[in-house]
Amino acid sequence: MHAGVKVQIEHVALAFGSTKVLRDIDLLIEPGEFFGLLGPSGCGKSTLLRIIAGFNRAQTGRVRIGGEDITAVPPWNRNVGMVFQSYALWPHMSVAENVAFGLEERRLPRSEVRRKVAEALELVGLAAFAGRRPGQLSGGQQQRVALARTIAVEPRVLLLDEPLSNLDARLRVHMRRELVALQRKLGVTTLFVTHDQEEAMTTCARIALMDQGVIQQVGTPVDLFDRPANRFVAEFVGTINLLHGRLERAAGGGDGVAFLSESAGPLSLPLAEGIPGQGEASIAFRPHGVLVAERASDAARVWLSGTVTEREFLGEFVRYHVRAGTADLIADQPHYFGVRDFPRGAQVRLGIDPGQVRLLQR
Amino acid sequence: MNSRFSTAQAAVALAIAAFLVAFLVYPVLTVVYVAFTNADGTLTFGHFASFMQISLMRESFANSLYVALMTVLVCSLIAVPIAYFTVRFDFRGAVLVQTLGVLPLIMPAFVGASAMQLLFGRSGSVNLLLSAWFDVTVPIMDGLNGVIFVESLHYFPFILMNLTVALANIDTAMEESAQNLGASGLRLFRRVVFPLAMPGYVAGASLVFIKVFDDLGTPLVLNVTNMLAPQAYLRVTSIGIEDPIGYVICFLLVGFSIVAMWGSTLFLRGREYATLQRGATGLARRRLSPWQTAFAYAWIVVVLLLVLSPHIGVLLLSLSKVWSFSVVPEIYTLDNYATVFTDSSRMIGNTLLYCGLAALVDVVIGTAIAYLVLRTRLPGRQILDHLATVALAMPGVVLGIGYLRAFRGIELPFTDTALTASGLIFVLAYSVRRLPYALRSCMAALSQVHVSLEESAQNLGATRARSIRRIVVPLMAGGILAGFVTSFVTAAVEISETILLTSRESLAPMSYGIYLYMQSIAGRGPGAALGVIAVVMVGLGSYASHRYLHGRSIALEAGRPG
Amino acid sequence: MALRPLARTLTITLACFAGQTWAQQVTVITSFPKELTEAYKKAFEARHPGARVEVLNKGTPAAVAYVRETAAGSRPDVFWASAPDAFEVLAKDGLLTKYDPGVAGIPSKIGNYPINDPQGYYRGQALAGYGIMWNTRYLKAHKLTEPREWADLVKPVYFGHVALSSPSRSGTTHLTVETILQGEGWSKGWSQMLQICGNSAAITERSFGVPDGVSNGQYGIGLVIDFFGLAAQNSGFPVGFVYPSVTAIVPANIGLVNGAKNPEAGKRFIQYTLSPEGQQLLLDPKISRLPVLPETYKQAPLGYPDPYGGKIRAKVNFDSELSDSRYYVVSSMFDQTITFRHKELVAATRAIHDATTRLAAKPNAQAQRLLAEARSLAFEPVVGEDKTRDKEFLAIFRQSKKDAQATKRVTALEEHWSNEAKKNYARAVELANQAAALAK
Repeated sequence: MHAGVKVQIEHVALAFGSTKVLRDIDLLIEPGEFFGLLGPSGCGKSTLLRIIAGFNRAQTGRVRIGGEDITAVPPWNRNVGMVFQSYALWPHMSVAENVAFGLEERRLPRSEVRRKVAEALELVGLAAFAGRRPGQLSGGQQQRVALARTIAVEPRVLLLDEPLSNLDARLRVHMRRELVALQRKLGVTTLFVTHDQEEAMTTCARIALMDQGVIQQVGTPVDLFDRPANRFVAEFVGTINLLHGRLERAAGGGDGVAFLSESAGPLSLPLAEGIPGQGEASIAFRPHGVLVAERASDAARVWLSGTVTEREFLGEFVRYHVRAGTADLIADQPHYFGVRDFPRGAQVRLGIDPGQVRLLQR
Repeated sequence: MNSRFSTAQAAVALAIAAFLVAFLVYPVLTVVYVAFTNADGTLTFGHFASFMQISLMRESFANSLYVALMTVLVCSLIAVPIAYFTVRFDFRGAVLVQTLGVLPLIMPAFVGASAMQLLFGRSGSVNLLLSAWFDVTVPIMDGLNGVIFVESLHYFPFILMNLTVALANIDTAMEESAQNLGASGLRLFRRVVFPLAMPGYVAGASLVFIKVFDDLGTPLVLNVTNMLAPQAYLRVTSIGIEDPIGYVICFLLVGFSIVAMWGSTLFLRGREYATLQRGATGLARRRLSPWQTAFAYAWIVVVLLLVLSPHIGVLLLSLSKVWSFSVVPEIYTLDNYATVFTDSSRMIGNTLLYCGLAALVDVVIGTAIAYLVLRTRLPGRQILDHLATVALAMPGVVLGIGYLRAFRGIELPFTDTALTASGLIFVLAYSVRRLPYALRSCMAALSQVHVSLEESAQNLGATRARSIRRIVVPLMAGGILAGFVTSFVTAAVEISETILLTSRESLAPMSYGIYLYMQSIAGRGPGAALGVIAVVMVGLGSYASHRYLHGRSIALEAGRPG
Repeated sequence: MALRPLARTLTITLACFAGQTWAQQVTVITSFPKELTEAYKKAFEARHPGARVEVLNKGTPAAVAYVRETAAGSRPDVFWASAPDAFEVLAKDGLLTKYDPGVAGIPSKIGNYPINDPQGYYRGQALAGYGIMWNTRYLKAHKLTEPREWADLVKPVYFGHVALSSPSRSGTTHLTVETILQGEGWSKGWSQMLQICGNSAAITERSFGVPDGVSNGQYGIGLVIDFFGLAAQNSGFPVGFVYPSVTAIVPANIGLVNGAKNPEAGKRFIQYTLSPEGQQLLLDPKISRLPVLPETYKQAPLGYPDPYGGKIRAKVNFDSELSDSRYYVVSSMFDQTITFRHKELVAATRAIHDATTRLAAKPNAQAQRLLAEARSLAFEPVVGEDKTRDKEFLAIFRQSKKDAQATKRVTALEEHWSNEAKKNYARAVELANQAAALAK
């Protein structure tokens, strides 16, 4: 298996007619990295993948694999392996024949082909199914055959186009762990396209979050979660509370900043680095950083008053929707046997941990 | 796709275009040209003026229109109830219906026509019985009515098959949501079911119209000559290849057919309901009451008998020595088969050769055009599609005359035989006019092959050509075979072009042989015998391919990803 | 170097398509049916081993057109057809070669009619007469008596039971019509024709349609060439045939084409058809034609018509020059006033028959007058005999069809005849109905 090559996407842009699908995309994917392309449908992530595979041609920019410029190379010569969303297993061939296809195209001797097919099937745990037809396999098995087919030819880069979206929920979880394990074993640079942020967060080393043809942020899952670059990222990754308002120096000097939320009223926050003293801004904080209590207790927190409008029981925690002022805030309380429960309509105090608050420029 | 188009694609497209222009457009243009020119080559509309002056021509025009429209009507009367029965109700007669769909098409229409004459004609079996029992006769075979009767029984499968598929493809949710909102019975049919099935009906009906409007064989055999196609043939063959009125008729045949085809395409555009299949399809099936079952079966049996009557008639004729003014032949013999035996092997060979090659050419070109249209962005590729499809509107008689004119004097390379006096002319003529059938099959087959199946092959290292060979074509095989069979069968029973293009008996295909034998005063028995052989051959071939396709589709379904 | 095997396969493939062209092949273009051509083909190939007969089966006008349009050197070798006018046309266009096969025993005339072309371009190979064929069962079922003469067929009792073809479509029907016109005179002949056609159920497109229809019982009576009737009878069909007195015996001819591919083979074939063995083939029951070689009749079965024996009373001496001069006029008149106006003519005839029957029961002078007028309207030719001698008039029909002006003139004339006829027939119906009403 290749030790992993780096993939460089330089200033790639593509428009279909008047629709700009990709606008000036720049990406560097490290060798052996499990890299995610995340975004809502229509953001251009699949198109980008197809450009790397060679099925779409960028109007500007270049694609380099391992330093080599492959922009003009036809798909069959690129040696990048792609697993399609529909798996695209050929119904008129058996599992073994499907897997053997790429090897036969490379004119390998038959014994070699047989060996590699067996290896690949072994790797995905389907050695016993070599003689079956795709129609006789379950969804998960088909996905693994598609995978086996691709890795059998030892591609330089592995492209996965929403490989798990056709599986049911439990299988999805199981398969993504298998994928990660496989990739670790092979060490091949992998691009994983998905619209499901949980999938991306749990599997990828780094993620590029895209929206409307533009990369919104590139970073590790924690980066995206904790330090969203803009509002879109903040709202896409996990659940978040957003308040818009104005910053002002706190009355009475000191290290405080007064944040006047348009909806929730004044909040005083400690001055943290990078927070300008004044101007319009938005603050964002995650539901798990908010405490729901009868009355304000912890002085280190910033407290708001509100009314419980909805209560959702999610097993590990209870999600409270609280209306504070005119703002609808979400607070997650870990649930364990015997914890205090607030019903709908209850008057509560919300304690925000200032260390968990992020400032977003408007 | 990788690039807009490659030189290989452009080359293929140009080659196909050249073939179609040389063997479809050019001959037809030579025919049309004569209609508009004087002896000295100057342009004139004088021939058209003359045409309009001749009352026989006006009458023929009106008759052709009348017959075509009436045939569509009668076909609808036969086909619509049957289609509805089989789709709406839990009906075990489905197999019967499928045979109904195929039987008429495997018998050459003109062979059936002469048998029908013996069964339903003025002194035919039915009328003899009727006049003996009830002292009435039914002039169903007289004049235009005879043509309508015979053509309806021959062509109704076009409407039946198209309509059945359209009805079967209706999303159950459409019907159920209408029912949910309170519609049922006739209202439901009128407001939801029939409009959704309309495209299928129109597709079938327009095809029937064009084919009947252009048909030469049936009117000729039934001795009805005041229609356009027989007039064109007669004028050109009798007065000589120089009679301009004959060419004016040809132009009208072509023009009208194209207009009918264009009209139906316009109507169908934007009404492709059937392709959006989400959930289960097919109308909800209902149970039939015993009365209703009896009625349905009775109707189908009646239609089946009518449909089988030409076949029965031909069979009886082939076994008869003398059949004259009697309900059934009196003297039976196998001599007719003996008579045609020696001749038939040569003619069967010719038919297999010409029709087989023509069908082969058709599926190759059909696959190529389907691929170019559906898988590439070659500019102008739609023109190929239209060009190939317009061949459907070219009457055989026009193409035959066109070939004789356009290729007069051209010889086969390396030999000293004229092209028009060789077997190759049949292959060309048949392939060009059957191409639309093959093209449709190939298009349908290719659109079933998801593009990702091809892309994944390319991704694994197969060039476009190799992925076509290893993946696309094998997956299209079912449709390709269906297209091959349709091309073959329709070419084997066609007579319009064949009559004009056959010069030497040794090169004659079966259809011409049958026609020739039927002109024997010693009896039409041998002709009928040859007709039976042709029908059996064609029928067996269709059946065999149907079984193979059915088995293959089952196997492929098992192999399809869930 | 890879091209050579490719070229070879290509040549072989093309040769397969070209069919086999042997040096010993004779190509015969003919309108004769399969029984005849098959019989001669088999016999000739048996007599001359190594030879092959290739048959081009085409209707006579198409055959003429084919020969004309094929380039010299690749034309068929032998032209063999019933209608002598086709041979005249070919000879005039220089498409036939003079050839005398030197067969002894064939007389030069039959009655007054020369068997061979005086100029030597073609020779008579068989003889044919024209007559009436009927279906015995049909006649019995409809209680009709067997007709004997053309004149019989105008009788009201035969209304709707007769069939014939049109001269423009069938060379032999043209001959029949000309025979009647020459036998009875222009006006009387046309009158008879119109009445017979008024009694007809159909004017078929091909001459074959008539005997075929009579054979299978679709029509009761038909105007046919003798061998159609005789062959059908001999094949077991319940039909009968008779030669009326107004008939002519005319030869069917065979000629060598100028610019033929294999003239030597053609000559051999022609020789064979005129030889005693070749002539005897004509006696086959399925063929039933009349040989030109008189001695052949010694082998004929009893009752076989013998034109040399004087059994067939052919009153008419056929004048082929006259026929030729007014060829197109006759065809065109027939088509415009009869074939294309068949429905109207039949309606007029029916009305006249009806009125006649009524008047026979209840005579009425005025009605009689009306009826006579109806008759003259319906059954008189639109063109008078003198016009047919007018050279200018005849010339209109000879002009090239491709000239739009000429075509316009011809179609205008034809349209005029057609409309005249339609008018006349409609008026005749009116008058006849009036007459019938008066006879109540």
